[in-house]
This record gives sequence, structure tokens and C-alpha cells, in this order.
Amino acid sequence: MSVSFALARSAGRRVLWFLFVGSLIVFMIGPIVWLGLRAFSGLWLYPQLLPKQWTVNGWRQVFNDPNLSHSMKLSFEFAPVVTVASAAICLPAAYAFSRYKFPGRRFLLISLFAVNAFPKIGLYISMAGVFYSLNLMATFLGVVIVQLIGTIVFMTWIPAAAFSAIPRSLEEAARDVGAGPLRVFFRVTFPLAAPAIFVAMILSFLASFDEAQGTFLVGVPKYITMPTEMYTLVLNYPEQVAAVFALLLAVPSVLLMALVRKHVMGGKLAEGFQLR
Amino acid sequence: MRRRELREGAQGLLMVLPPVAVIAVFIGFPVVAAIAYTLGRAGGPNSVVASLGQRQFIVQHGVTLDAYRDVLGNKTIHRDLWATVWVTVLATLVVVVVSWAIALYLRLADTRLARIVSGLSVVPLFIPVVIASYAMLVFYSSDGFMRSVAYHLGWHSFPTLGFTLWCVFLAEVWVNIPFGVLMMSSGLNGVPNNLIEAARDSGASMPRVVRSILLPMNVIPTVIVATFTAIYVLGSFTVPYLTGPTAPNLLGPSMSNFFSAFNQPQQAEVLAIVVFVLALGIGAVYVWANVRTGKRSAVAP
Amino acid sequence: MSTERRLDGAQQRAEAPASPAPERTDVGLQIEHVSKDLGGRTIVDDMQLEVKAGELTCLLGPSGCGKTTTLRMIGGFLIPDRGRVLIGGNDVTKMSPDKRPTAMVFQNYALWPHMTVFKNVAFGLRLRKLPRQEVSDRVAQVLELVGLTHHVHSYPARISGGEQQRVALARALVLEPKVLLLDEPLSNLDAKLRVRVREDIREIQQRIGITTVFVTHDQDEALSISDRIAVMSGGNVEQYADARSLYREPETTFVASFVGAMNSYEATVVPGGLELPGKLVVPCDDLSATGDGTFEAGVRPEDVHVSLNGDGAPADVVREVPRGHYKEIVLNAGPNEVRAFVSADLPPAEHVRISFTRALLYRDGVLQRSSAPVSV
Ligand SMILES: Nc1ncnc2c1ncn2[C@@H]1O[C@H](COP(=O)(O)OP(=O)(O)OP(=O)(O)O)[C@@H](O)[C@H]1O
Ligand SMILES: [Mg+2]
Repeated sequence: MSVSFALARSAGRRVLWFLFVGSLIVFMIGPIVWLGLRAFSGLWLYPQLLPKQWTVNGWRQVFNDPNLSHSMKLSFEFAPVVTVASAAICLPAAYAFSRYKFPGRRFLLISLFAVNAFPKIGLYISMAGVFYSLNLMATFLGVVIVQLIGTIVFMTWIPAAAFSAIPRSLEEAARDVGAGPLRVFFRVTFPLAAPAIFVAMILSFLASFDEAQGTFLVGVPKYITMPTEMYTLVLNYPEQVAAVFALLLAVPSVLLMALVRKHVMGGKLAEGFQLR
Repeated sequence: MRRRELREGAQGLLMVLPPVAVIAVFIGFPVVAAIAYTLGRAGGPNSVVASLGQRQFIVQHGVTLDAYRDVLGNKTIHRDLWATVWVTVLATLVVVVVSWAIALYLRLADTRLARIVSGLSVVPLFIPVVIASYAMLVFYSSDGFMRSVAYHLGWHSFPTLGFTLWCVFLAEVWVNIPFGVLMMSSGLNGVPNNLIEAARDSGASMPRVVRSILLPMNVIPTVIVATFTAIYVLGSFTVPYLTGPTAPNLLGPSMSNFFSAFNQPQQAEVLAIVVFVLALGIGAVYVWANVRTGKRSAVAP
Repeated sequence: MSTERRLDGAQQRAEAPASPAPERTDVGLQIEHVSKDLGGRTIVDDMQLEVKAGELTCLLGPSGCGKTTTLRMIGGFLIPDRGRVLIGGNDVTKMSPDKRPTAMVFQNYALWPHMTVFKNVAFGLRLRKLPRQEVSDRVAQVLELVGLTHHVHSYPARISGGEQQRVALARALVLEPKVLLLDEPLSNLDAKLRVRVREDIREIQQRIGITTVFVTHDQDEALSISDRIAVMSGGNVEQYADARSLYREPETTFVASFVGAMNSYEATVVPGGLELPGKLVVPCDDLSATGDGTFEAGVRPEDVHVSLNGDGAPADVVREVPRGHYKEIVLNAGPNEVRAFVSADLPPAEHVRISFTRALLYRDGVLQRSSAPVSV
């Protein structure tokens, strides 16, 4: 049920309202649609609203360029590895944050946030020193680590909020009928928290998939992923090829996000950001 | 009983150790090293970077603020700093206002149009930032959509926004709107209908309900959106790098310039610390707001 | 379960009209031919109801019969599709809730969690731009009226359910509405508190003489505090009467079965009594109607007279349930089950004789009356 009330009664306000909604729609999806058109455009001169010629040359060029397709392959290798690694180290922590009392709990939860506030570029510059001394430069592991640290905050916060939202009585009831702690976790707690964990994992996948600067700094010249390649493309290739590549890069994101759309819209993401 | 608590505490600490350790080693330690470096200490983890950098201010004992003096006395940096502050403030304001408007619209008039609007407003969540920046650039460029449409509407001198701070601002708003809408919607959906109805019943008009009920009950999400957006914009690199002008631009790209173009890593780190301090100040608001309301809503024992 | 107690309460009220407020004849609230469709279904269907000024009317009915919907139309949260709502003779059908002289107490109180008790109550007064002093005076007054003098500056989350309930009531009363609306205001309280608070509500209502509509699905609650009760079913009022007539003369079989316990049988009228299935003739002193053909006969358990010997129809005792100062016995009279409330002193027995002191006859679900009024 909703509390519906007329938002705009007078005609003048209604016109203003529709102008606002209309420009919002153009603002939000105009750039994406425009980019999509670019990817198929042959000749397109200002100020035409549609291209004069349509073509798939850009697509051919992208798929035939070994550099570009290699970077796609790399991107699809790193993202799953980073996601699994991140889940493996963060999920137990998320559970502990929501269920156990221990000294420094609040402090650690908040400091996760604090490290997020340090600008990435500055971080990568000074991280380089650590990576050199640990021989992580231009290694697979190095790239995984640099992508991983960007996923830790939400991989901890979102599932922690989900665990906290599960009433303890549900777990206690299962203990009561004789289930051991592990069984309780896997049969009761985990299934209930699964949607939020899923959201966190997809966000982590995408964060790794989209990470560019850190990967560039650590991975170059061996590991050039799609978004890193994108920087070069934007500057050096014809606009149309960049548009094609951009669309390709967006495909997995769109598909994966569509999977968890319901949970994200339902507040699973939002809940993770309230400290408790 | 006591022993069990101890054991639980130990177990909890053990479980949070892995991510905390990763963060400590790969973020905490570098951040501390970076701070030391900006204060003139070039030893230890800073030695590699320091051996390559130029125009460094190094001391063997104690600390020096010369690097800060150098950076903060630089006129170009002043302009970058102002650009950063302005874009951050503006983008944060617009994100908060627009996501409030969309979430409120969805909350009060649950119509199909409202759902379409809110659905479209989370689209950027699906789009990698690199692409978002690129799409924004193309959209507002000299032969982009905005100028083409303006031309057809008879406005032939519509400004080219691509590669200006306006484009940076628009792109930052675009990228941050989904988070704003999700947070605000979640917060507003948490306000039960009958609280709104009770206020109507007491004689409150709809705008008054928004001001007296929805606004105060949605403070936390609003603070979260404002702080996270501000921190994101402050430290952002991709968006201003791809869509912004050469100078003045936000501090993210100038950090990168100092590092790679001018080969002045110490100056780059000073900028990073400046942004970090600003971000921490904003983050403190977030923590404070959470703690404050946490106290009030606590149920009686 | 406690029909007798209920009955006692009802009788007391009928004997001594409790309202100390001067009897006013002007109407408080009128609902005229109101209908409302929701989700493609007609939820309230051509409903009519008139509540006198100062009267407390209960809307009583099973879950989903449209009580809340009706109340929300009175409060202005829903606009009727057809028909009119009048308060004090003025048409308010399309008026928004903030303009209406009504005040609602919500089921889960709907207290604003970010405002203290004081601020919750003062909110409506502040909207009216009253001077600060007057606001705090009136808030203090109304809080005293509902019996809540401490916790004034606590947040709602920190006070008990019963106290929250009082704050909600105070918040509604402080605006001095013409009509007070309560939607199952007691359902979140424990049994004991529920009885106490409902008596308090009734007392306050009578003291200030406010026209009140009280929604409940608890017949006990309805019978014990209302001046009149509107029994609803399927979006319509089945019967609108005071507690006593509702109990003694339910107009329809629905009301008869919904309010209190009722034995019901297919019966024909024969000289001296009723013939039930199995050719069993039970003597009956008082029939609501006479005539040929079958009726649906309703007999309240306390209208079943049970004796160990003497005349009457034979019946076997199946079960006895002690109820304190009386007992309920379940009997088989031929193929018919009969429930009776009898004195706790009646000695246990296997075979007894029964007769009815009073039976109501229904046809097509509607009470049939002979021309002479039923003697009670
Ligand atoms: N907005 C709506 N859309 C569709 N159906 C609705 C809506 N609101 C109520 N209904 C339906 O209308 C019917 C009556 O609802 P109402 O809330 O008035 O019942 P009620 O008598 O108050 O019941 P209860 O005792 O359970 O509170 C229910 O079947 C309900 O499902
Ligand atoms: Mg109801």
C-alpha cells in the first residue's frame, strides 16, 4: 500500500515537474544511448542527431586486435579470482563483526572505512614501495592484491549487515534441535544471508573488473586488463573503436547487475552502510 | 560464563584478522610510509620511490614540512584545490537533492512513471566508471548530443562542456546518483505509512510531512550519501582524468601528474594526504551521525 | 467462553444508561451509501451508518470485512468511490485528512520515533501556530487526562506499550477533534492491560463526550464499551444496535453466530414448542415468530433449561465443562447437539430433560418476528 497524494496540482507545477523528470531521464540514459549509437556509426557529422552511415567496422577492429582481445581474456581471469579470494577472507570477518563481541570491534569496522578515504592514486604510489620489496610488481598475485583491497570494505559491510538482520533465535532454535555450529551456519544463517552475500560478490567482481589505475601501476607491462586498455584507447584510437570497447566492457556489468537487481533495489546494498 | 566470553572474543578477533591484516600491510603501512615520506623521511619502504623522484625535501633526522610548503605554496595547486572543493560541494549537493527528490517521488507516488524514473537512475551502477566517463565526455563534447539538440532548437552557440569542470561535475553526479537513490529509498521505505498518515491527521500538509517526519527520520541515509559522495569525488581520478580540462583539474589527476609527468612523487603524496585529511573530516560526520541516532533509537532495557 | 459475563455487562449498561454527558440529539457522523473498490474488489458496499454526537460506536466484524477501510474513509485516508461522509452535518467526503475534524489512533500507535512524547502530542498544536505557553498547557492537560504524567520527555522507543498507547490517544485528543477514530487500538497489549485500557478509553470518551468510532474484531471489547455496535460482514453493516439488543435479538444468523454462542437447528413450529430434526419436540416458552414451514432456529445456551426430571425433551450429557460460577454442558438430543449454560450446582447426570426458554426463528438468514413484540 502506498500513501499517494497529488504531488503537483496546478498545471504550471505539473509542466515543471515533467520537465524535471524528462531532463532527468535524458541525463541518466542519454550518454549510454549516445555511446551505443557511436559504436555503429560510420559517418556522423555535427549537428546531425543520427549517423549518416551505419557500420560494424569498429567491432571487427576490436575483435581482430590481439591486444584488445587478450586484455578481455585477462579481465575475465582476474575478476573471479579476486572475488573468491575476497569472499574467503572477508565473509568470516563479516560474521564475526555481526555476531561476536570483541575488543576493538567498532574501531576495526570504522577503520575499514577510513582506509577507503585515502585517495587511490596516492595509495598506489606509496604501495609501489611495498610491492617492490615483496617482489609483487608485474605478477599475477600483485594485481590480485591491488584489486582485492578495493573490495574489502563492501565485502565485509554488506554481509555483516545481513548477518545482523538474522534473528539470533533462528540460530538458537537450530542449535536446540541438535545441529552443530557449522551445520547451523550452513543450513540456517548462510541461506538467509545469501542474497546480500551474492550482491557483495557481484559488486566485488565488478570492482575488480573495472579497476584500472592500480592494475596499471602494478601489472604493466604484463597484465593489461580491459579498463586499463580503455585509457589508451580513449586517447589513441578512433572514437568508434573506443565506443565498441566501452560497450563490451559494460556487458558483464549489466548482465551481473541484472542478476542482483532485485536485491540491490530491495535495500541489501543500502543496509550495509549503516554502522551498528 | 566469563571463559566463554573470552573464547568468543578471541575467535572473533581471529576471524576478522585476515582482512584487517591485508589492509594493514597493503594500505595501513603504505599510508604511514607515505606520511613519513611527505615529512621528509626517505628511508625504508620509501627508498625506491625516493631514489627516482625529483625536487624532494629530505631530512635524515626529525621531520620537515618543506614538501607541504612547496605544494601548498604552488599557485596551480591552489586552483586545483579550489576546483576540487567546488566540484565536490556542488556534486554532493546535487546528488543529495536529486536522489532525495527521486526517492521521495517513489515513496509518495508509487506510480509506473516513478518506478521508471528510479529504475533509470540506478543505471550507472551497471556501468564501469571508465565507460561512464567516456560516455559523458562524448555526450557533452563539441559534436555531442547536447550541442546537436541545442543546434536543432536554434541555440547554435551551446557551450562545449566536454573537457571542462562542468563535465567533471556532471559525470560525478551521474556516477553517484544510484548510490544516493538506493540509500534514500531504503531509508524512506523504512518510514511506515501510518507515521505519515498520523501527521496528516494532525493537520500537516504534505510539504510539512516531508519536513517534520520524513526528513528527520532520514537523516542517517542522507548523511551517508553526502559523506560517501563527497569522499568519492574528492579522491576520484578516472572521472576528472577522462572528462576534465588539463588545468585546473581535480587533485586526483594532479596527483597523477606530479607522479608520472613531473616525476615528483613526494608532492603527489602531499596532495594525497591533503585529500585524506579532508576525507577523514567528512568521515567523522558519518561516524558521529551513526553513533548519535544509534543512541536514541535504542529500545528500553 | 465468557458469554455470561458479557451478558452481565450488556444488561448493566442497558439498565442504567451510563453516559453522564447531557443527551444530545444532533448527529456526529453520517456515512451515506458509501462504497469503495480496492484492487478490483468491492471492499465496502453501499454502507450506511449514523453515529450520534457523543456516542461510541464499535465496528465489529471478522477479519477482512472492511472495518479498517471504512475507518480510513472517515479519516480521509481513502476517498469513497460513491456516497458521502458527513461530520456534524457537513460533507467532508473529499476533504484531506489534515483538514478534517477527525483524529485517528493507529493500531501500532504510529508515534514518531524522532520526537519525544511531548513533541508527539504537541505536533498538531504547533502546526496551528499556537503560543508556546498554550501548547505546553494543553499538552500537559491532555497527558493528565490519559493518565501519563511522567516520561513526558522520553522517546517513544523507551516507554512501555501501554504508555505508548496513551500517548497515541493523547495525540489524537489534544486537537479536540469532532470525531475520534480508533483502529484496534488495544490489539498490541496483553490481556489484562487490554481490559484496563479499554475501560479508561471509555471513561475518557464519556468525560469529554466525543463522538467515537472504534474498530475491533473482539466482541468482548465491543460489547463492553460501546453505546452501539455495527456488526459488519462483506463490506456492509448487518446490524446496528446496542449491545443488549444485538445479543438478545440478532437480526441475522450471521450476527447471531458472530456475537456470542448460539445453538442453531432446522425446526418447525408445533403446538407447545419446536420440532427439531429426528422428530424431537422441545418445549419452548417464547418464540420470535410462528408460521408454517421450516425455520432456522437459534437458541442461546443460557436459554436452554436443563432439569434432571420433569418434562421436556430427553437428552444425553456428552461433556461438562466447568466455567467457574456456571458450567457449560454439551448434550445430544436425538441427532442434535445442544450447548447449555447451567448453574454450577446442577448435579452431574447422564440423562436429562431440556426445554427452551426462548428461541429466535430465522428465514433466509433474517430474523422473523410475529406481530406482537418479542417479550424479553
Ligand atoms: N489497497 C488495497 N488493495 C487491495 N485490496 C485491499 C487494499 N486494502 C485492503 N484491501 C482488502 O480489503 C479487504 C478489507 O480490508 P480491511 O483492512 O478493511 O479489513 P478489516 O476489516 O480491517 O480486517 P482486519 O480485522 O483483518 O483488520 C481485505 O480483504 C483486504 O485484503
Ligand atoms: Mg483492520
